[in-house]
Order: sequence, then C-alpha cells, then structure tokens
Amino acid sequence: MIGQVEIRKVLPHRFPMLLLDRVTEVVPGQRVTAVKAVTCNEPWYQGLGPDAAAEAYAYPRVLLLESWCQSAGLLATWESPDPDVLAGQVMLFGSVSGVEYHRPVLPGDVLEHRASITRVVDDTVIIEGGSTVAGEPALTVGLAVLAFRPAGELRPGDPAPAFA
Amino acid sequence: MTGAAGVAGAGPSSPIAARVEVVRPAAADSRGKVRAVTAVTVGEDEAVFPGHYPGFPIFPGVCVIECVHLSGLRTPPPGSAGLELVAVESTRFLRPVFPGNRLEVELVWTGGSGAWRCAAKVATERGAAAQVRLRFTAEEA
Repeated sequence: MIGQVEIRKVLPHRFPMLLLDRVTEVVPGQRVTAVKAVTCNEPWYQGLGPDAAAEAYAYPRVLLLESWCQSAGLLATWESPDPDVLAGQVMLFGSVSGVEYHRPVLPGDVLEHRASITRVVDDTVIIEGGSTVAGEPALTVGLAVLAFRPAGELRPGDPAPAFA
Repeated sequence: MTGAAGVAGAGPSSPIAARVEVVRPAAADSRGKVRAVTAVTVGEDEAVFPGHYPGFPIFPGVCVIECVHLSGLRTPPPGSAGLELVAVESTRFLRPVFPGNRLEVELVWTGGSGAWRCAAKVATERGAAAQVRLRFTAEEA
C-alpha cells in the first residue's frame, strides 16, 4: 500500500493542507488513483455554530480541487520527489481550467481522484481527470498545468517570476 | 481575527478566515458592465500556512480562487440571490501570494437568468497575482 509515509516523501504539504490519504495505483508518467476521506474534524468546520445548516458542511469546493491537484502533483513528481520546499523545486499551479462541481461532498464521503498526464513540456506537466464519491462524479478537471520553479525564485520581497 | 478557518455568516465552510471588504458593490458602469471591487488582507495566522508549506508559507492558489469566490458571494449582481459556485472555468496564477499581502479583486459579472459568470483580476501590492473565471448558479430575486 502507498500510504502517508510514501506520500510525505513526495509532497511537501502537511497538516492541515495535506489532502491525500492513500494512493491506490500509480503508473509513473501516466496516471494515478488516490483517495481522500473527508471528516468533520478538519479545521474548515471549526467555525460552524450550533445553528449551521446541513449545506454548511459541504466540503469547501476549492479544497476538492486542491486535493485532486495533490494527486496530480504526486503523479508529476513520483519519479523525482523533492519535498523540501526550502531548497529544491517548488511545485505550483500554473493554471487550471474546466473545473466543474457535480455534487456536494460531505463528512464521511470518500473521494477517489483519478489523474492522467496528457503532455509534458519542459518543466511543466499537463494533467486532466476528476473525482468521484461512491462511483458518482463529484468533480471534473479539464486541464491543470503544474509548473516547477526553484524555491529561491519565490522568496517574499524578490521580484516574482511569471508562472504563465 | 483568529487563525481558525472561517465561515462567513451563513455562507459555506471556507479554508480562509480573512474578511472580504467590499470596496465597491456590484453596479453597472457607464457601458452597462456590472463591476465590483473587493479587498482581502491575507493574515499571517491563516490556518493553511503551517502546512503550505512548513517553514515557507505561500498562500495556496486555491485560496486565491476562494478569495474570488467569497468576493463574488459578497458582491452579487443586482437582481440575483443564492449564488452557488458550480465551476472554475479558468484560472492563471501570475505571482505567488505571501502572508500579509493585501489582495485587490476586480470582478466583472456577466449572465443572468440563474447563471452568472464572474471574471476577476487579483492583484497584490507587487502587481497582478491571478486571473480567475468562475461560474455560479443563482435564484433570480
């Protein structure tokens, strides 16, 4: 099984922003299937009061995208992991498009992400895919461009690079 | 403002606690375009920073999208109600956003009849940070 030990060797994200629990299949250079279980104990629910409506427990939609993108990032870096963001290459979204949400995701739901590489151009990787809950579509991602940049280019105060 | 991730009023759960300031509510300009402006100051105590990344806090790209999402909810186009995010049509990230940055968000609304698009330009003090296009469904008031 590919669990937290292996995931943390590849991704620099940590609590509370490590949004992948397990990888069920990875074919390097091609595709990945990964799982994230949503729980009510995530910090995004901390501010909900006793009168919160059921809809307020819908998992934040941008974090559904983040979780999927982490599966995409894991696929993109599987063969050359560099989880030290202070020294190595930082993985960043260059752009994302065609993201559609199909249903709310609630605590107790298990997201299954699928991502596949469609193109590699220099230091950018183009990936597409989506996520399901119990076989039902929750998210589709038309196209994500992941870019890799040296950490040194990113320090606050320095002129920022363009990620286009 | 605490570091706890936020829930803005009766709105959806959110990974960010920062408050959206409405600089200019949505209104048609002289050419009939519906525009709005908001500002969001990214606090150093946002809940996402300890994990994104340890020792090197960068505001996650999806949180920039979230700032546009929340800005859209705070500045709905006239005549609409109950906006709900259904798609991120496109987004380009141009510069990283760091703790303490103040984001200015310029929104342009198009659509109607229950379907609205929001095209936003996000800038920090250092210049353009992102372009984000969202799609919402709405009840017509």
